Amino acid sequence: MEYAIETRKLVKRYPTKRSSSMGYGRGRGIPSFSALINLIRGSSGAYIEALKGIDLQIKPGEIFGILGPNGAGKSTLIKILCTLVLHDGGEVYVNGYDPSKEPSNVLKNLQAVLPESRGFSWRLSGKQNLEFYALLYGLDDTESKKRIDYLLELTELKERAEDGYQRYSTGMQRRLLLCRALIRDTPIIIFDEPTTGLDPTGAADFRDLLKNKLAYQEKKTILLSTHNLQEAQEICDRIAILDKGKILACDTPDNVRHLVIEEREIKIDILPIFPDKKYDLLVKQLNEFSYVTDIQPETNQNGRIFRINIRLKKEQEITEILKVISENELKIKSVNTQEPTLEEAFIQMTRQAKKKVIKEEETGK
Amino acid sequence: MSVSIAIKQIIAFTKRDFFSWSTYKTAAITQIISIFIGVFSWGIAAVYVNRDVPEMYGGSDYISFLIVGITVGNLIMPLIQGVQRQLNPWTLETILMTDIKTPVFVLGNIMWTYILSIISFIPYLVIGIGIFGAKLNTNILATVFSFLISFGILLGLAMISTGMRIVTKSTDPLTWAINILQNLFSGISFPVVYLDTIFFPGASTISWFLPQTWVYHLCRLSMLTNPNLLDPSIQFEFLKGTIFAVLLLPIGYKFFWWGVNRSKKEGTLGWY
Repeated sequence: MEYAIETRKLVKRYPTKRSSSMGYGRGRGIPSFSALINLIRGSSGAYIEALKGIDLQIKPGEIFGILGPNGAGKSTLIKILCTLVLHDGGEVYVNGYDPSKEPSNVLKNLQAVLPESRGFSWRLSGKQNLEFYALLYGLDDTESKKRIDYLLELTELKERAEDGYQRYSTGMQRRLLLCRALIRDTPIIIFDEPTTGLDPTGAADFRDLLKNKLAYQEKKTILLSTHNLQEAQEICDRIAILDKGKILACDTPDNVRHLVIEEREIKIDILPIFPDKKYDLLVKQLNEFSYVTDIQPETNQNGRIFRINIRLKKEQEITEILKVISENELKIKSVNTQEPTLEEAFIQMTRQAKKKVIKEEETGK
Repeated sequence: MSVSIAIKQIIAFTKRDFFSWSTYKTAAITQIISIFIGVFSWGIAAVYVNRDVPEMYGGSDYISFLIVGITVGNLIMPLIQGVQRQLNPWTLETILMTDIKTPVFVLGNIMWTYILSIISFIPYLVIGIGIFGAKLNTNILATVFSFLISFGILLGLAMISTGMRIVTKSTDPLTWAINILQNLFSGISFPVVYLDTIFFPGASTISWFLPQTWVYHLCRLSMLTNPNLLDPSIQFEFLKGTIFAVLLLPIGYKFFWWGVNRSKKEGTLGWY
């Protein structure tokens, strides 16, 4: 199998006027006849497009991140892969199986850690909950015991395995969710916002578990959706930025960072000087370089300039800049380059996409 | 999937629900008290209006008729409501992701409630017979058959109801309609033929199109009249009940999956 997960022009639409067209619901009393007819026939009319032709290829063994603002379509994509939502157009395959047509085969290849789908009995212990799910997955007693012991060890829950689930901290609950997803030992694991709600240490431990144990040791393919860009940059081999149902970028985190950011910033630390005519002259000379877009000094408490921040074109070399500074008799202590962050790239991409939509709407009008 | 695994899965659901039930001690105690209060209130009412019920179950009286009706009612209602009560956004998606088979899912979710009903069935009968003088004239084999047919009918209804509930999330119009009709037409507390006297001749025909009527009728037939299963007229009654069960089971299965797929299509599986 070339790809663990593959989508081609994947489309998902949701009806938008469902409850009003059905005419019933919580507290609305007895349904009308037309509401019943609508119920049987299904919703029609207005809809929103949650995914607008997604093309995605995730290789076996990859850690792949889906990033996007709220409403980008991340959860929809994940739920389609998990067989919990049916797509409306395009194609989607999990290890070669279509989730809408072969859900059983898909679920033998993929499991997910979806925080909102807890499904644990609060009054049972962590271990009892896992034994329950092991049976639902069809594991026999010996296999189940072996697997559960291994997973409790892996997630460091063994000592608290007999405690009631209600006594688990958020971090422990998340690890128990992971145990459940791993019971079936599928080659693909999906995580939806895996570290949301965890404290920094818990989040770091979870990332470590995910990257070092699941990805590297167990060779699993991991797809995770996250708002945490630092997390994505830290653990993902590749990422896709999703916004309003479209993929804006799909590449390694480093490449995505540089994709839209056209500039970089260099920070030149100098022996402190007072801002005088000599400094003004330096700024003037630097501004004459066409590739320099901005120059900002940083001053210390005495009002002396100790650092000059210069923004310039991304690929531009800096020999000329350093030469000019030297010629103006400033003593250079160090030079650092500030690389664009994934967050900057993310914000810029989503803003550009938003502007594009507004422009298209205006043009359309 | 082998049958033994399916049985183990149903047992796993049952154990889970039992553990959960037994830890909510206050709820468990109030439930047990409710059983006793329930049977006393119905029993007293039955004693007050007691008379023979010659219309349908010859040789029986109203106390026996009502006690069996109420007991059966308590035995079967959890079957319809059992799965619905388990449905919530935290469990449905997770359970469906285990790829569990539909009958196992439905049976597993109702089994503990059903066992609890059977447990409460016994004190109902004991109190009914011992205190209120209900007289049972039971054919054990016929009772087993009538329970099996009832189970089939109600499992079908439970799946229909669950499928609807997955789509509608709150009010299930179909079960609502069936329950409304059942209260009036299925003869929980009076012989259905009495409808002909109250409304118009032939009014009770409606009753025989309601699946629950067959549940009550066959159970009463078996427990109050000691029917001879070799009697063709009795066999015909059981056959009619069986047809309901045989029709409702596949319809229920289809309905359940219609609800699940419809909800998957609209992306509302996790909404409640």
